[in-house]
Amino acid sequence: MSRGALKTGKSMRLGRQPGEVLDRSRQFVFTWNGRKYPAFGGDTIISALSAAGESVFSRSFKYHRPRGLLTASFLDPGCNVQVGDEPNVRGAHRKVEPHMAASAQNAWPSLRFDVKSANRYLERFLPPGFYYKTFMEPQRLWPLYERVLQRFAGGGKASPDAPHGYYDKRYAHPDVVVAGGGPAGMGAAVAAAEAGARVMLVEEEHELGGHLRWGDEEDLAALRRLGEEVARNSTIEVMTDSVVTGRYDGNWVAVSQRSLPRVEERLIKARTKTLVVAPGLIERPYVFQGNDAPGVMLSTAARRLINLYAVKPGERAVVLTANAEGDAAVADLERAGVEVARVEDARNGGDIGRVRGGQGAREVECGDGARIECDLVVTATGWTAPTSLLNMAGDKPFYNPAAARFFPSRLPEDVLATGGIAGDGSLDELLEHARATGKEAARRARGIGAALRAGIPQSTDGEEAPQDSPVTIPDLPVNGHLELFRGRTHGIVDYSEDVSSKDLVAAVKEGYDSAELAKRYTTATMGPTQGKLETVNAMAVIAEATGRSMEETGATTWRPPYAPITLGALAGRNFEPVRYSPMQPWHERQGARPLVAGAWIRPDHYGDPEAEVRNVRKNVGVIDVTPLGKLDLRGPDVSELLNFLYVNKWSNLEVGKVRYGVMCAEDGVILDDGVTGRLGPEHYLMTTTSSGAAGVLEWIEDWLQTYQPDWRVHVTPVTGAYASINIAGPKSRELLARVAEGVDLSTEAFPYMNVRTGTVAGVEGCFMWRIGFTGELSYEIHVPAAYGLYVWEALMERGADLGVRPFGVEAQRVLRLEKGHFIVGQDTDALTQGFGAGISWAIKLDKEDFVGKPELVWQGERDGYFRLIGLQPHDGSVAPPEASQIVEGKTIVGRITSSRFSSTLERSICLGFVAPHLAEPGTTVTVQLPNGERITARVMEHLAHYDPEGAKARG
Amino acid sequence: MTRSFFSRNGTRSGYQKQARYSAFDLFRRGLSGAEWPRAWRSRDPKSSYDVVVIGGGVHGLATAYYLAKEHGITDVAVLDKGYIGGGASGRNTAIIRSNYLTPEGVRFYDRSVKLYENLSAELNFNVMFSQRGHLTLAHNDGAVRTMRWRAEVNKLEGIDSEVIGPAEIKNLVPFMDTSEHTRYPILGALYHPPGGIIRHDAVVWGYARGADAHDVHIHPYTEVQGIDVENGRVHGVRTNRGGIATSKVVNCTAGYSSLISGMAGVGMPIGTFPLQAAVTERVKPFLHPVVVSGTLHVYVSQTDRGELVFGASVDPFTSYSTRGSLEFIEGLAGHVLELMPSLSKLRLLRQWAGLCDMTPDYSPIMGVTPVEGFYIDVGWGTWGFKAGPVSGEAMAELVATGKTPKIIAAFDLARFAEGRLVGEKGAAAVGH
Repeated sequence: MSRGALKTGKSMRLGRQPGEVLDRSRQFVFTWNGRKYPAFGGDTIISALSAAGESVFSRSFKYHRPRGLLTASFLDPGCNVQVGDEPNVRGAHRKVEPHMAASAQNAWPSLRFDVKSANRYLERFLPPGFYYKTFMEPQRLWPLYERVLQRFAGGGKASPDAPHGYYDKRYAHPDVVVAGGGPAGMGAAVAAAEAGARVMLVEEEHELGGHLRWGDEEDLAALRRLGEEVARNSTIEVMTDSVVTGRYDGNWVAVSQRSLPRVEERLIKARTKTLVVAPGLIERPYVFQGNDAPGVMLSTAARRLINLYAVKPGERAVVLTANAEGDAAVADLERAGVEVARVEDARNGGDIGRVRGGQGAREVECGDGARIECDLVVTATGWTAPTSLLNMAGDKPFYNPAAARFFPSRLPEDVLATGGIAGDGSLDELLEHARATGKEAARRARGIGAALRAGIPQSTDGEEAPQDSPVTIPDLPVNGHLELFRGRTHGIVDYSEDVSSKDLVAAVKEGYDSAELAKRYTTATMGPTQGKLETVNAMAVIAEATGRSMEETGATTWRPPYAPITLGALAGRNFEPVRYSPMQPWHERQGARPLVAGAWIRPDHYGDPEAEVRNVRKNVGVIDVTPLGKLDLRGPDVSELLNFLYVNKWSNLEVGKVRYGVMCAEDGVILDDGVTGRLGPEHYLMTTTSSGAAGVLEWIEDWLQTYQPDWRVHVTPVTGAYASINIAGPKSRELLARVAEGVDLSTEAFPYMNVRTGTVAGVEGCFMWRIGFTGELSYEIHVPAAYGLYVWEALMERGADLGVRPFGVEAQRVLRLEKGHFIVGQDTDALTQGFGAGISWAIKLDKEDFVGKPELVWQGERDGYFRLIGLQPHDGSVAPPEASQIVEGKTIVGRITSSRFSSTLERSICLGFVAPHLAEPGTTVTVQLPNGERITARVMEHLAHYDPEGAKARG
Repeated sequence: MTRSFFSRNGTRSGYQKQARYSAFDLFRRGLSGAEWPRAWRSRDPKSSYDVVVIGGGVHGLATAYYLAKEHGITDVAVLDKGYIGGGASGRNTAIIRSNYLTPEGVRFYDRSVKLYENLSAELNFNVMFSQRGHLTLAHNDGAVRTMRWRAEVNKLEGIDSEVIGPAEIKNLVPFMDTSEHTRYPILGALYHPPGGIIRHDAVVWGYARGADAHDVHIHPYTEVQGIDVENGRVHGVRTNRGGIATSKVVNCTAGYSSLISGMAGVGMPIGTFPLQAAVTERVKPFLHPVVVSGTLHVYVSQTDRGELVFGASVDPFTSYSTRGSLEFIEGLAGHVLELMPSLSKLRLLRQWAGLCDMTPDYSPIMGVTPVEGFYIDVGWGTWGFKAGPVSGEAMAELVATGKTPKIIAAFDLARFAEGRLVGEKGAAAVGH
């Protein structure tokens, strides 16, 4: 990894600073682009590199210009680096660790010499959207051009081998969430906690304190006092290196927590009663030529470097200041030993024309034309209010030209704002506002909590909604500030996207003259910072170019998340349930091949599905059908419900009988099918398809709750409560007789389509149905789930001499295909109405009403629908793959829905859909196989290929 | 492209004639510093037009463009309540394909793909159609069967489409977990080489510029507030910028199409559902084809800029809200990582939502209505963008000739009353 000795360039590290975050007792080494660098505990990747004299950290997106440090914060657009297999790490925020391997992104072959920086010289030929204007012809060369464009695309590298880490989520129900842990956030949190609220205080940086951290002695003393107050309140949960990424409906707040040991990132979902938005202000860059050269930075960046990381930002500086922060930066620079060659005071007309220097700032051309050599240019030209969370709460912040920034306008009851986003003033004024806001947030939280509880019956008298009166929140003064966005020259507006003010002006002139169009055309604000640094400057340039005001121009919409969040944290652990039947251990012992069937894992077969089929036809087989949907229906109106949901009649079903039923949706399309039995006068058991179980429950509840709420029916899903076993084959009666007690199994006493309750292998309360999906004599037994494996094993043991063998889903598919039973969803599709599936015998249009009746009446009167039919290829050795199309010339006139080779019949058999003119038995149709070959097949008289009279199942 | 296309002069002062876009012109203007003229003009609405198109997205602009170019009907206004391309045209995930399930669907979308393939040259505007292949994954045998069904129908219609296995999928997408041990193992995929992604905004702008070159008037920020119908005929529209007399109105809106049709007294079998999407930060290109999984309700593609674009199925409730939800990005991330687990450190950058007009058979509604002169091109659900060019072409023909072109005949409004639904549920539910 690391080559050569420790990098010992010119050290920019200063002596100990009063507010520094470094742990100088802990010194270690990490690598940057393969070279070793020293660092202290507490350094960020970029602060350690800056201390070692480095000033270029990436290449820009489009022109591959060298980029250095601009904000020294999470947002710093030039400081995204690759760390191992993690792309786009915020290098000016991420703490460096021993042996960390960091490298530059978007640079080739090296950061110092990037071949693609030749693009800079082509800039004039590459205006915004240049790619829309060229490479159009010849069309066939576009893929080649596209490859070239892709090569220039910036960003880190994803690795296919990156391990999927451990991610978990946390749910929280705080009274108050405070987004932002600067002085205002701290003050608000303390006041809310003192008013009795449970508070979550969330700060993006590694420590609380906001701008106080890089302030003077007085600021540091104030920070210590605030820190003590926070620490004294045990009901404040402090989360640093964490950020509120979104505020969703109902104050559902997402927090990304990055400060947990050994966990990359955790998503906290907080249902907070009130949210206090206190993100402070983001310093805004100034637009002028050369404003992206390494060495040009914001005043807050210079102050962070000096005061937090003890790094000297340069040797000789020019400062453009329009506010107190800039003035303080001048003082800091001088204290740090930087020669401040000139201070341009914008309040007195000072300005910067341009900065020269390829690899880094070399010379500044000041407003008066004077040229000054320097390696550091510091600007303090104003602030952007990060109103993102307010927008997500439905607020439309307004622009105040006197203060040159946005302010909240109308917030909902459960969202408050304090700190710089709400106004200016002295620290004391800010804290007074923050404390009042925090107290009011706590008060409103109490009210919201009481209102929530009011809906819940209380065991005692319950608490009254608090009647306390609102806290008076003082108005914060608003300091005047110059509207400084762009100087006299053009420069970079969006650093992440390499979009200049010139580009925006050009876009406006070409007709992309609204904020949204200009954004989309130039891609300004679409990069990693999502507009937090550049939106206001972009708006100002667009406003200037269109001759409209800032208010008329409006901002583009801030969308969640406020800060990027990893897919891992969002996904959390995978909670997709997997369902197994109680017999699964037995299946695994027998080496069953698993089949994923929705939520269930089932045995597809046990090695030889053909043998399984033969054994069912000859002896007896058992299949685990536990996933079959089972609904327990009770109440006097169940038969009404069944009559309404199924197309067939149910009112005359006697106790002890079962009936096959088909459900259609309102559009007459087949929804589900299954067998339902009447266990008692007001007690039924409904079975559904395995895949349809959840949907049918919802379907029934939907009708019961919305259409017939007065029907007295209780529906209980019991799919998992019973293990279900189908015993099929000529010897199934003999096998069941060996284990069943108290039930006469003779055909006379227990005929086909009947149900009995009894004891099986000593297990009481089992249901036995005599039905036949496979076409053989068969019994389906439903056993309390806990005894499923026991009963299964008992069947295997007691039936050994009868030749009992298990069979899986594949054998069952063949068996039912031989018998011509369709599978909903395979042999029917989203347009198959009842009559098309050949169940006209079941559809009772004389019923007063049932779901789908009008559509079925309509279909019954017409004849144009495709029909489900049995098919046999003339060449019985060919089983056309399912989904093969039935054609006439090039026209599609049907398709194969099910197809298998039947070892019972020793030929291939199919089900399929055909156009009405081909449905007559005996018709020959043409089937096109996927390989393009065509074969012919005969339309059969019945869907069933095996025992169409049903003698075996009834026997 | 004839020269006259670009030499037509504007009628208002300050408008320069349209400039041809080419590498040479980029170079020339780069040298001279000459500005590019407006891509389309800004002007005040006239008091009457032959045709008024409501909706300045790809459908409306394409309709206007083909009306002018193919049929010589240039007295056309395109109205939009916001900026052009700000609705579904600017919120979709820009996937183009034609591997549908029904022959009607396949033929229709195939025509669209063909038009898209030539659109950059046709419009002299690079729409960056990247035919990088489109994979629809199958995670169970039922899905494999549906993929084979689609492949067979596609092949019969002459569309390049086939079912491939996990090894070939892994070859196309090395980041994909094709092992058997995932929760939903990948059994196969429908591979459709001509499918791909496009720069959606560029399509809108290209059509706007093309329409403008034929003197079509484009009016953004012009909201239709009413449609005047008398004796079963359209007479005009009322907007926030005044009334416009016209005998032909084409409703090319999405999200609000039932409201607009309602203004003309025409009921629509449409429910409007939000559809959410999201993008990640940029990473170097690693994912070439478009990947779709119906079982996992997710689709993924990587733009030329390096962002991953994610989409899913529509929200399960009707709403006009375009705000995103936390649950959506949580589920989305989970499903993406199910497919490509090594992306867990990639960061989600932005989420948004658009509105989808869903019809009962997951197919659009195009054609005439009971109100004479009121045409509809609506109900585009989640598949409208990929049909922009062909819809525009067909709607223009309908409006100009009064005859419904064969290619859209199956999608008429009357089918809901006459029971001729088009069965695209299977291919369009999440099928981007």
